[in-house]
Amino acid sequence: MNGAANALEALPLLELRRLTVRYGAVTALRGIEMQVQQGELVTLLGSNGAGKSTTLRAISRLISPAAGSVFWRGADLAGVATETTVRLGIGHCPEGRRVLGRQSVAANLELGAWIRRDREGIAADLERCYGLFPRLAERRRQLAGSLSGGEQQMLAIARALMARPTLLLLDEPSLGLAPKLVAEVMATLAELHRGGLTMLLVEQNATAALEIADRGIVLESGAIRLSGPAAEVLADPALRASYLGSG
Amino acid sequence: MDTLLQILFNGLSVGAVYALFALGYTLVFSVLGVINFAQGAVFTLGAYFTYLLIGGAVGANGLLAGLALPFALPFWLALPLAGLAAALVSLLVEAVAFRPLRRRRAEPLLYLITSLGAGVILVNLIQLLMGAEGYSLPADSLGALPVALNLGGAQVRTVQLVLLGVSALVLIGLTLWLEGSRGGKALQAVSEDATTARLLGIDSDGMILLSFAVSGFLAGISGGLVGLSISITGPYFGIGFGLKALGVLVLGGLGSVPGAVLAGLIIGLAEALVPSELSGYKDAVAFAFLFAVLLLRPQGLLGRPQVTKV
Ligand SMILES: Nc1ncnc2c1ncn2[C@@H]1O[C@H](COP(=O)(O)OP(=O)(O)OP(=O)(O)O)[C@@H](O)[C@H]1O
Ligand SMILES: [Mg+2]
Repeated sequence: MNGAANALEALPLLELRRLTVRYGAVTALRGIEMQVQQGELVTLLGSNGAGKSTTLRAISRLISPAAGSVFWRGADLAGVATETTVRLGIGHCPEGRRVLGRQSVAANLELGAWIRRDREGIAADLERCYGLFPRLAERRRQLAGSLSGGEQQMLAIARALMARPTLLLLDEPSLGLAPKLVAEVMATLAELHRGGLTMLLVEQNATAALEIADRGIVLESGAIRLSGPAAEVLADPALRASYLGSG
Repeated sequence: MDTLLQILFNGLSVGAVYALFALGYTLVFSVLGVINFAQGAVFTLGAYFTYLLIGGAVGANGLLAGLALPFALPFWLALPLAGLAAALVSLLVEAVAFRPLRRRRAEPLLYLITSLGAGVILVNLIQLLMGAEGYSLPADSLGALPVALNLGGAQVRTVQLVLLGVSALVLIGLTLWLEGSRGGKALQAVSEDATTARLLGIDSDGMILLSFAVSGFLAGISGGLVGLSISITGPYFGIGFGLKALGVLVLGGLGSVPGAVLAGLIIGLAEALVPSELSGYKDAVAFAFLFAVLLLRPQGLLGRPQVTKV
């Protein structure tokens, strides 16, 4: 019995096996393999077009892989709808913020909790989000489309948190933010990580991401170029080479 | 003086129904980005359902000649039931004319053909079953209410007050639902960004069904109200109204709820102001007005200017 329990604990939360994704003739991912354990903060790095967003889209099943699979708690996600992945505990904060600009900040957050029914829990989490991002609290009645870029990014993160995900996929949360705000967002993510949230963080800002991550994975042209503990990846000359696009 | 008041009332009550009907198009358009051309036929069905539910009998020419329901409901009960029946028909239209195309990611233009086809089939079915003749809802449909009321010295037909009242009630209810409820907000989310809505766990297929059901309900109620007001002129009765409501939709700005209401009232008033000796040109006046406004404001009265998404 004990052995079985241990085996369950060792089971990664998320596992990609030989994942290949194509957009028509373009192959965006070439059989990548990776695992994310419960409680880990893993950052997925790489230059433009490396396949980072595609990886996240394949995990939340916005696209179906051409080959290979995504396993969630040991079960293959093949055939599962995107709407269902959220209910399984996979939150996805997409590239480019994508807040619902015609609705209020509060409505965006309420919709983040769409899959939940526990009114009191939702209300408590709403206050927690406002505590985490006080700027959103001041603007709760404002239309999300009228927020600044940085505020929209905070809203997108807060909205994803409202679903109480087990794993949070974040696609370039620092994109287009002033350096001070980048540091602020990274500090918030580190705080969430300390609170036990598992995250897969896609970033172009490699240094900032590796400073808060447990592990780093570097993608290059749809394949994994480098992976390991964050400090090692940060020190590896291949990281720089990968970003400069040289072999 | 009192005739002007009557004209205004006429215009407002017809316009309110146009607004109601146009909102049905708006709902489906906002989630799918396509126009459901079967709406006119669903409107017609709503009128026939109302007629049958208040105990009306089928005329001599249809397959169902002489048939009548074993019960006769009061109008206020028959109307919402007819709306529900129309909602079911609208769901059927979605299953037959929309879903198969959506699964294949078809061109939006194709929906125009399939929904128009579904509409024509429905109209032909009505003709087959109930004949081509017109039907009028009996004068005592509204029970003990007097035929006309004296409002500030003007005689106003009770029917018009009913049209105005019911439309206002439904419009207010719809707005409260869209802006205030969880489901309404989710519907708006799907209409603004379907991918993001899915990432939040919102079932976009379910929301599409919901929009068809609600839009069918609105069309059915509008049909019942117009049937009560001017009688049902035959199976093609809804086509003209459908075009008019489409005009209202465009005039108000595609996808804008307050725009549809404003445009409905404006078109209703514009028509009502056409002198009675020229009433044959009512439609021409309405569409000329529409044309003129669109030349000045292509996005409609309250529509957002078209911006290409980057
Ligand atoms: N919808 C699409 N259709 C065709 N090709 C696509 C599509 N989306 C992505 N691609 C291609 O797939 C590859 C990987 O794209 P992806 O968006 O995953 O990159 P990324 O690593 O997220 O880049 P960035 O840092 O610029 O966001 C690129 O070559 C891109 O051109
Ligand atoms: Mg990307």
